[in-house]
Amino acid sequence: MDFRRFINHFDWSLLGIALAISVIGVLAIHSSTHYIDNEFYVKQVIWIVVSLVSLFLIVCIDYNYIINYSPYYYFSMIIILISLLFFGSKISKSRSWLDLGLFNIQPSELTKIAIILFLIYILSRSRWDYISWKDKLTGGLVILLPMFLVILQPDLGTAVTYFPIYLGALFITGIDKKIFIIILVILILFSTFGWYFLLKDYQKQRISIFLFPEKDPLNSGYHVIQSKIAIGSGGFLGKGYKKGTQSQLRFLPARHTDFILSVIGEEFGYLGIFILLNLYFALFYRIFNIIKQAKDRTGIYLVYLIGVLLFFQFFVNGMMVIGFFPVVGIPMPLLSYGGSSLLTTYICIGLIINVKMRKFIYG
Amino acid sequence: MKIYEDLTPLLKRSRITFFIICFMFLCITVLFWKIQILDHKKYILLAEKNRLREENLTASRGLIKDRNGVILAENRASFNVSLIRENCSDINISIKKISKLLGIKENILRERINQYKFYPKFKPIVIKENLKMEEIARIEALKIEFPELVIQFEPKRYYPFHEIGAHIIGYVQEISSQELKKEKFKNLKMGDIIGKAGIEKKYDALLRGKNGKIRKIVDSRGRFIRELSRIKPIAGKDLSLTIDFDLQKKAQDLLAEKEGAIIMLNPKNGEILVMASNPSYDPNKFVRRFNQKEWEKLVNDARSPLENRAIRGLYAPGSIFKLTIALAGLQNGLVRPRSSFYCGGKAFFYNKEFSCWNKGGHGKVNFYNAIRHSCNIYFYNIGNMLGIEKINIWANQLGFGKITGIDLPGEKQGLVPSPEWKKIKLHSPWFPGETISLSIGQGPILVTPLQIAVHTAIIANRGKKIVPHLLKSNREYSNERIKINKEYFEDVIEGMWEAVNLKGTGKLAQLQGFNICGKTGSTQIISKNENENNKIKTHSWFTGFAPRNNPQIVVTIIVEYGGMGGETAAPLARELFKLYREKNGF
Repeated sequence: MDFRRFINHFDWSLLGIALAISVIGVLAIHSSTHYIDNEFYVKQVIWIVVSLVSLFLIVCIDYNYIINYSPYYYFSMIIILISLLFFGSKISKSRSWLDLGLFNIQPSELTKIAIILFLIYILSRSRWDYISWKDKLTGGLVILLPMFLVILQPDLGTAVTYFPIYLGALFITGIDKKIFIIILVILILFSTFGWYFLLKDYQKQRISIFLFPEKDPLNSGYHVIQSKIAIGSGGFLGKGYKKGTQSQLRFLPARHTDFILSVIGEEFGYLGIFILLNLYFALFYRIFNIIKQAKDRTGIYLVYLIGVLLFFQFFVNGMMVIGFFPVVGIPMPLLSYGGSSLLTTYICIGLIINVKMRKFIYG
Repeated sequence: MKIYEDLTPLLKRSRITFFIICFMFLCITVLFWKIQILDHKKYILLAEKNRLREENLTASRGLIKDRNGVILAENRASFNVSLIRENCSDINISIKKISKLLGIKENILRERINQYKFYPKFKPIVIKENLKMEEIARIEALKIEFPELVIQFEPKRYYPFHEIGAHIIGYVQEISSQELKKEKFKNLKMGDIIGKAGIEKKYDALLRGKNGKIRKIVDSRGRFIRELSRIKPIAGKDLSLTIDFDLQKKAQDLLAEKEGAIIMLNPKNGEILVMASNPSYDPNKFVRRFNQKEWEKLVNDARSPLENRAIRGLYAPGSIFKLTIALAGLQNGLVRPRSSFYCGGKAFFYNKEFSCWNKGGHGKVNFYNAIRHSCNIYFYNIGNMLGIEKINIWANQLGFGKITGIDLPGEKQGLVPSPEWKKIKLHSPWFPGETISLSIGQGPILVTPLQIAVHTAIIANRGKKIVPHLLKSNREYSNERIKINKEYFEDVIEGMWEAVNLKGTGKLAQLQGFNICGKTGSTQIISKNENENNKIKTHSWFTGFAPRNNPQIVVTIIVEYGGMGGETAAPLARELFKLYREKNGF
């Protein structure tokens, strides 16, 4: 691939949208942590640079080539996840961090990519619009194994994000419509009704304690209340940059990671949120447009599954900060503070751009 | 060479997915709109409330004094060091460093902080109290290194006489989370101090006063901007007790190394001058926050130092119960002062042998001598004539089997057995032989030392009831009389006088010129010490009053495992009567 084509077919606008969201993230991180003796926003900028370098590297290798090698990647991630259970660094009671000396990294984030690639490796063996039950089941195992390992850490939030990858895969490979809708409806109804109506408060607490020992229910209740107050009190125009009483007064917990959206809601108001939501919408619009340009089945699967994964994270985090989803600890992609999540998201975007650049069947 | 695939179904599904995504975007946009625009007013109020900080102004707790103004419970200044979590860069490192600085174990410190983890992070958590001057100096000097530590002043309860009167006064402690849920504590907050035992608990609301508070607005960095309002605290009321500190101290000295209780009260109005229970404890240990071990040691001590034996110790009354039998016998016309029975050291009732404590027998005894020498045989006979029902009724009349109504929490009511009671509890009928044992205060009957003291006061008053109390007041507590003729009381008192003054069982209590009337008692129980092989041990009782005419003071003593009442308890009573007479100039 010559350099000119690289320039011509590289999706600059997709990268531009992603970077715009990340810049807003850096601003919000700075606003919410500038009074703490820890330069989170500088670290975030460094991570963005590292992520961009990784993105450009990923783009250079044909995605079909990457997928061919994905089993190695997948199984080395599994080995890392297992060893993490024994040697991982504990940060807030969960063994999900790998200490690399200079910085810590969360292998469970990078595992998302491994899962997607390996899943596609299995599913795209069939050239027809039909996937055997055997392959579907194998695909399920590909998801469940790392999910299980990550739940053990315990990091339920990240583990939950693996699941929609499988649902997405089932849908795009053409599962019987009726069966799929039934599965989906049952799942949604059961979890929502179960959470809000079937369980008593103390049962919810017990489940929460069991599932998220690192976050006691009272504390997460407190998180949601404070987050809603922050967002609600922002109003239409917000309280102004670095002027949010909630985030500045430190009522907001995890304000630079999972609850970064609340900081934006409070300081930039509904206007800020609306602009941000539109940026995200543009991002997903772009991603689903690229699907149309993909030259083969593999490419479609890749872009589609990444799109579903990113959207799931976006949606759950957005609903979580306004109290419509339990606090499970899923960061906002591109926006939240955190190197692993950022790196993973940019590599994902790199893979999407990769597909777009190779939309012609010949080399 | 690759072949073109038909990808249209995939694209169709992808399009469906994107429609769903669009719909979800719409949802989230609408939900944010609802919270930020529609509910804005509600949340802005809540956010404002977050900027308000309330600070407690602790009301000073009322003092507790004895009848002569000796201060038994006071407040002292205590300097505490507290941790503010939001100023920690890393709580774990902070805990490590502070543990070294203050010499507190890391796990204890962590536990303490975890107790308050639901607190907002800007609220200080007390981690060490009663700092010494050099500790304050050291913390102040290292202020830059420890921005998370602050030193605060707090009034702290202090009991200057430690063990003396501990069971009466009680102690204060931080309110527990269970207590916070109760209606009567609804105005209190976590960390507030309340009375947990004794007078501190009984009159907690009076002593506590009412806390005030300052409401202020802080800026976005938590710095003070201005005061919104201030409610001044209302200090708690000082309480004067009926206790006489000198007598109380003397009583506790007399009980040192023993287990037992002493009560002295004024039979005229029920004022308690002494209520001693040994072993005792230092209530100051409860006031401190970090003494889990010492606390557990006290709670689990087999000698139960926390129990106030005077109102919670349950004992068989032994021979003291003969006074009840005597009064009941006289009032029912079953005996007259001249009535005599022959005591040969033992007697047979219902084909069973019952013995007198004097194996040689007392010979022919009349009523007065029966009380004076505490002859069992005489009272077996009266008890047998009375029967269990009448004994039960009169024992109740004379204050047994029900609480005395003293102003202390946790008083026990004891037990006067009856056939109904036995049927319900033990599922067996009452045997007449049991009435015989009951006549000399043995068997399932249980009384508290305070009930014995009140019983004695009723006799001293020739039938007028009293309600014992610790808080000094002019209130008339009781004016009731017991329906027993005055002359019968005089007969019993004559017997009690002879017991002390005419070489009776209570002779060691005799004090020339003070006309003490008294009665001893000994209750046999199986030793609780397992090494002693179930050897029979004896609790030693003495109860009495003086002077005989116009009684001023009642003294009741029980010494656990003290041996015969006349030998152990009576001399102690003499000491107390003596000191009382000296203090009051009789």
